[in-house]
Amino acid sequence: MRAMRIVIAEDAAVLRELLAQMLTERGHEVCAAVGDADALRAAVAEHRPDVTVVDIRMPPTHSDEGLQAAIDIRREHPGTGVLLFSQHIETKFATRLLAAGSAGVGYLLKDRVTNVAEFTEALTRVAAGGTALDPEVVTQLAGGRQRTTDLESLTTREREVLALMAEGRSNAAIAQTLVVSAGTVEKHVAAIFGKLGLPSSEDANRRVLAVLRYLGA
Amino acid sequence: MQDRPPKATPEPAGNPSAGTLGKPAGRALGRPGALRAVLTTPFTRRAWAEAAYCLLGFPVALVGFVLVLVLLATSVGLIASLVGAVLGLALAVLALGLSRTLGALQRALAAGLLGERVTAPALPRPSGGFLAWLAARLRDEAGWRAAAYQLVKLPVAVFQLYAAAWWLIGAFDLVTPLRWAVFHPLVGATGGASMRTISPFPGGAGAPHSGSFADTFLTAGIGALTLLAAPWITRGMVTMDRWLLSALLGPGELAQRVRNLEETRALAVDDSAALLRRLERDLHDGAQVRLVALAMGLDMAKERLGPAGGPVADPDRVRELVETAHRNAGEVLSELRNLSRGIHPPVLDEGLPDALATLAARSSVPVELSVDLPQDDSQRPTPAIETIAYFCAAELLTNVLRHSGAGHAVLRAEQSEERLRLRVTDDGRGGAALGTGTGLPGLAQRVRTVDGSLRISSPPGGPTAVEIELPLHA
Repeated sequence: MRAMRIVIAEDAAVLRELLAQMLTERGHEVCAAVGDADALRAAVAEHRPDVTVVDIRMPPTHSDEGLQAAIDIRREHPGTGVLLFSQHIETKFATRLLAAGSAGVGYLLKDRVTNVAEFTEALTRVAAGGTALDPEVVTQLAGGRQRTTDLESLTTREREVLALMAEGRSNAAIAQTLVVSAGTVEKHVAAIFGKLGLPSSEDANRRVLAVLRYLGA
Repeated sequence: MQDRPPKATPEPAGNPSAGTLGKPAGRALGRPGALRAVLTTPFTRRAWAEAAYCLLGFPVALVGFVLVLVLLATSVGLIASLVGAVLGLALAVLALGLSRTLGALQRALAAGLLGERVTAPALPRPSGGFLAWLAARLRDEAGWRAAAYQLVKLPVAVFQLYAAAWWLIGAFDLVTPLRWAVFHPLVGATGGASMRTISPFPGGAGAPHSGSFADTFLTAGIGALTLLAAPWITRGMVTMDRWLLSALLGPGELAQRVRNLEETRALAVDDSAALLRRLERDLHDGAQVRLVALAMGLDMAKERLGPAGGPVADPDRVRELVETAHRNAGEVLSELRNLSRGIHPPVLDEGLPDALATLAARSSVPVELSVDLPQDDSQRPTPAIETIAYFCAAELLTNVLRHSGAGHAVLRAEQSEERLRLRVTDDGRGGAALGTGTGLPGLAQRVRTVDGSLRISSPPGGPTAVEIELPLHA
């Protein structure tokens, strides 16, 4: 596993310090740990990290400062992935975050940091330009929309696979979660691409398109 | 829209004599102060404004009286003759409309010169045709009251004019020596005429005429005394008018009550919404974060422990992580305890005396507690009132600690005649007012929602006394 350069933005000092400790102990470099969105923007501009961990609610208004900063960072520093986290999942926030694409972004419930291994894995995925969406985000986004006819043609199993893809998981990880072989997952994925009418170009790109179709974002 | 001053009326902060609560400043003055007040009152802005009100009010009152009386009398005559009933009704409506318009002018005069802000009564807004409009206008209770004011105001205005005349008479008499000096040589050339003293009393009783220059100083003295008395006479006349204004030109007791209730209901709703928001914020920033950190620390420790049965790589780090987690758990507990006490302190169930005693004991400024509340449960205020009283006391003691710099505070609670009175005094630096960021406006609002009142006396330099009165039942 490659060591990541990370900037943390979280206004609660107790959590900020623990996150920094945890990531440092795992061999990553925490360039800066800050407590508000302006400091976050400055730190990202200065350090150009691989990824940032950003609390959505931060001073001064405690509403969506972190999300605003995240969107700006994705636009201005495409090389920096952004993992947002908050204590509640807001569908509106997820849609705004995903509006500019799902590459290099993540949105997790704060509870997920209590499983440090999974959290670090999600962070690694985002740093590498992937996606990490909380299962809760996926459920809310998918549940809140009218399913297109394409999606209705998917089998239950295929939909499960697609939901896991939406969380940003690789085929191998999906196979592990569903307790099936990697080959089966590949078959499902191919079926999904076919049913959604996605042309066979680069695999990763089709993957993102499928997920976006699924989320309706 | 609320023009009336809220029930929470702070004493003017700049008045050093406002030492005692609830007394108007004038009554609290000592003897030298009283003399000074008598001598300076004719020169105060308030006295001049009141005199101007008496003077300006008269023509309006005269016009109003004549027009309204003529219109109404004609209207009654027409209606009685049956022939012109419709015209008569129309005239009555015209009289009511005119009364309202004049009433608006009179309210403006009172607001501008007396500072007496009377809220305008709402205009009836009937839906439907002409008949509905006519009926609504004729049933317009506020319009009839305004008409009554126009009729009652004239006699009052006559007295007010008389009161205003005291000012003119006083001034006229006061300058008699000057008049003598200027005019007497002219008059004196034609014959030894004397110069009149005008008495402010009807009939000119006891007014000596000046036959010489020296006499004119006696007249001047009478003038000075008249001038000293004039402000009190105008004030008396104006006081009567104030009462009439609010009774006849205001929105009426019921409408005022409805307006007040609407307002306090909105306050109560806002208050509870704000409370919930604060609660969410406290949970979000406090207990929730600590629990996340706690669980995360435990997971980190678990990872360090390695697989079951295997050797522990770094026991010191594990111990450190567990210690941090333990500390976080302790802080979550105390945060939740504080939070739940902020929602409803359990000690309140034991009654207000115990709850206040706990508050006083917990304060870091020494608090002298004096509680005189009935022991009998049947006379206890309702729980909502007790809760409000408790939180008011808590907030006031917090203010003492934060803002007053006091070394000593007194918390007094007593109950009488269906009212619960709470009073917090301190020997601090004073200067507390509703707008000074002390949380007092919030308290005043909360107290108003149950028809309570809050009074502040806090001259610069102290002492500060805040008194809260609550009904026993919300």
